[in-house]
Amino acid sequence: MADFEIKDLRASVEGKEILKGVTLGINKGEVHAVMGPNGSGKSTLSYALMGHPGYKIDGGEVLFKGQNVLGLEPDVRARLGIFLAFQYPVVVPGISMTNFLRTAINAQRGYDGKDKSKQVSPKEFRSMLKGELEVLHMDDSFLPRYINDGFSGGEKKRAEILQMAMLKPEIAILDETDSGLDIDSIKFVAEAVNRMRGPNLGVLIITHYTRILEFIKPDFVHVLVDGRFVLSGGSEVADRLETTGYSEWMEADEPAVLAKEEVS
Amino acid sequence: MGFNAETLEQAVQGEPDWLLDRRRTALSSFERLPLPSRTDEEWRRTNLAGLDLPAYARFEQRNGHVPERSALPSGVIFEPLAIAAQRHASLIEPLLFSLVRADRDRFSALHAAFFTGGNFVYVPDGVTIDEPILGQHFSHEGGTSVLPHTLIVAGKGARFNYLDEYIAEGDETEGYRSGSAEIFVGEGAEVGYVAVQKWGRNAWHLADQRARLEKDSTLKLFNVTLGARFSKTRVEASLVGPGATAELKGIYFASGEQFFDFHTLQDHQVGNTTSDLLFKGALQDVARTVYAGLIRIEKGAARSDAYQANRNLVLSDKAKATSIPMLEIDNNDVRCTHGATVGPVDPNHLFYLRSRGIPERTAKRMIVQGFFGQVLDRIPFQQARELIEAELEARLG
Repeated sequence: MADFEIKDLRASVEGKEILKGVTLGINKGEVHAVMGPNGSGKSTLSYALMGHPGYKIDGGEVLFKGQNVLGLEPDVRARLGIFLAFQYPVVVPGISMTNFLRTAINAQRGYDGKDKSKQVSPKEFRSMLKGELEVLHMDDSFLPRYINDGFSGGEKKRAEILQMAMLKPEIAILDETDSGLDIDSIKFVAEAVNRMRGPNLGVLIITHYTRILEFIKPDFVHVLVDGRFVLSGGSEVADRLETTGYSEWMEADEPAVLAKEEVS
Repeated sequence: MGFNAETLEQAVQGEPDWLLDRRRTALSSFERLPLPSRTDEEWRRTNLAGLDLPAYARFEQRNGHVPERSALPSGVIFEPLAIAAQRHASLIEPLLFSLVRADRDRFSALHAAFFTGGNFVYVPDGVTIDEPILGQHFSHEGGTSVLPHTLIVAGKGARFNYLDEYIAEGDETEGYRSGSAEIFVGEGAEVGYVAVQKWGRNAWHLADQRARLEKDSTLKLFNVTLGARFSKTRVEASLVGPGATAELKGIYFASGEQFFDFHTLQDHQVGNTTSDLLFKGALQDVARTVYAGLIRIEKGAARSDAYQANRNLVLSDKAKATSIPMLEIDNNDVRCTHGATVGPVDPNHLFYLRSRGIPERTAKRMIVQGFFGQVLDRIPFQQARELIEAELEARLG
């Protein structure tokens, strides 16, 4: 069995069945890409894995560290080592990025406001931040700002990867991290992710486009259409999609071409 | 016993005749005025059942807390009001209870007749005080009344900050409390006023904070309501000179069975005046709050600019916030904006924080702190901000 095992996962949103039985095993050290057209269930997969309350689990299980994580609260999943980089990072007014990051790291270390020895020290926190900011080509001016408030699209996505780097998950789900990013931002994000790749991290990249896979080479590529995987293979699957798009699995009246995303 | 002439004569000895006369007049108003009825719009949502006024007709301290005096510029007066009434009658007599009127209702009359403690702050023309002036008012025991009154007079161009802190020390039994303030902001003056109400959780608190702003003056008022089982506060500013600016901000956090009621008034009597009001509250458990705010633009008050907002974060299904913004505009050449929101924590905010491993309880606390954070930036001076942040932190747990 894989380190992170998704078995026959079925999920619905507002009564509509979206995931119709997804099975996927991810080992640490591997990078998997899930590709699919709009509406195929990509985002539902990422939210369901993280435990968003708006997504109802209808069946299946997700086994990680000997537990079915589908029964766990989102924060428990996160502390177990699962991370989701959001497609649309949420703006939370009134809470600074610094406070957010520090609280998240403390929570992961089991600091509950009592045992100060578990708390990240200001010095350690600063040094953790400094290295990661450099890799992501970010400066520290965003730290006192409220969470994602007024960030550009690129800043938001980079901030997601910064959080990942700080929290050091064992399973990271990147939900359309490439969408809305200019090519430089994609390169910085890819560089940061590639630095984290290794025997302690399994990655699930969810994407519509093949572009990010040029910079983060996947070991496995799975094609998700209408809530099911229709094709799985190595990185050659992405190359095939690059030329043919999703047309072979789509109804004739739907867009067939895997167009390059417009970047403004 | 009860609040009567005998109690009054015992409670206030050695005060000047003009003040005694005024107290006696207020007492007769108190005896004449009925308890506000729920048919009265202002009191419609306010439940006074359980208030046993006569039971609280005892006083803990006659002259109140003697303020600690740091070095103040010459000419500045900062004294307990009862003492200042003797020494500075010519300054106080024309102003005392001219803004917070003794005959407004039964509770205003009670306060004016029996007020104990509170401070007189007088800053002459052109004087700036860098350090904030701190007034502290204590209650130590239940079954009593603690009724401090603050009178602030800012001369032309005076600049200073003042804090009223209402503190309960081990006082968790029933009692009657007020904490009223009259603030006269002279021409071109800039005054910061912060009131932090943290009486014991079984106290009844009824208070009026009212300011009068002359030409080109600025008031930054910040009200914090945390204590009492029942707290009704009126926050009112009259803009009587062109160029006057009133910033009225407030926060409240209600838990358990607390009931808070706020009535605010932005009274633009003349034109070219600005008022900016924001009251933000969070409620949990079975707490209830009522906010009713009125912007009144009088006929001649052209080119007035008024903003009013009340935002409520409701943290439990059983807590209830009511928000009633009102406008009364007799001039068309004005800019008025108002709005009110009542809602729970955004589940997407909560999910985002929890997806980073932050437990639900901590995440909710951060969201509440964040909700208040934006208005805390408007506290007019640092010392008050530190105090308020610490109080909030302790209460959010």
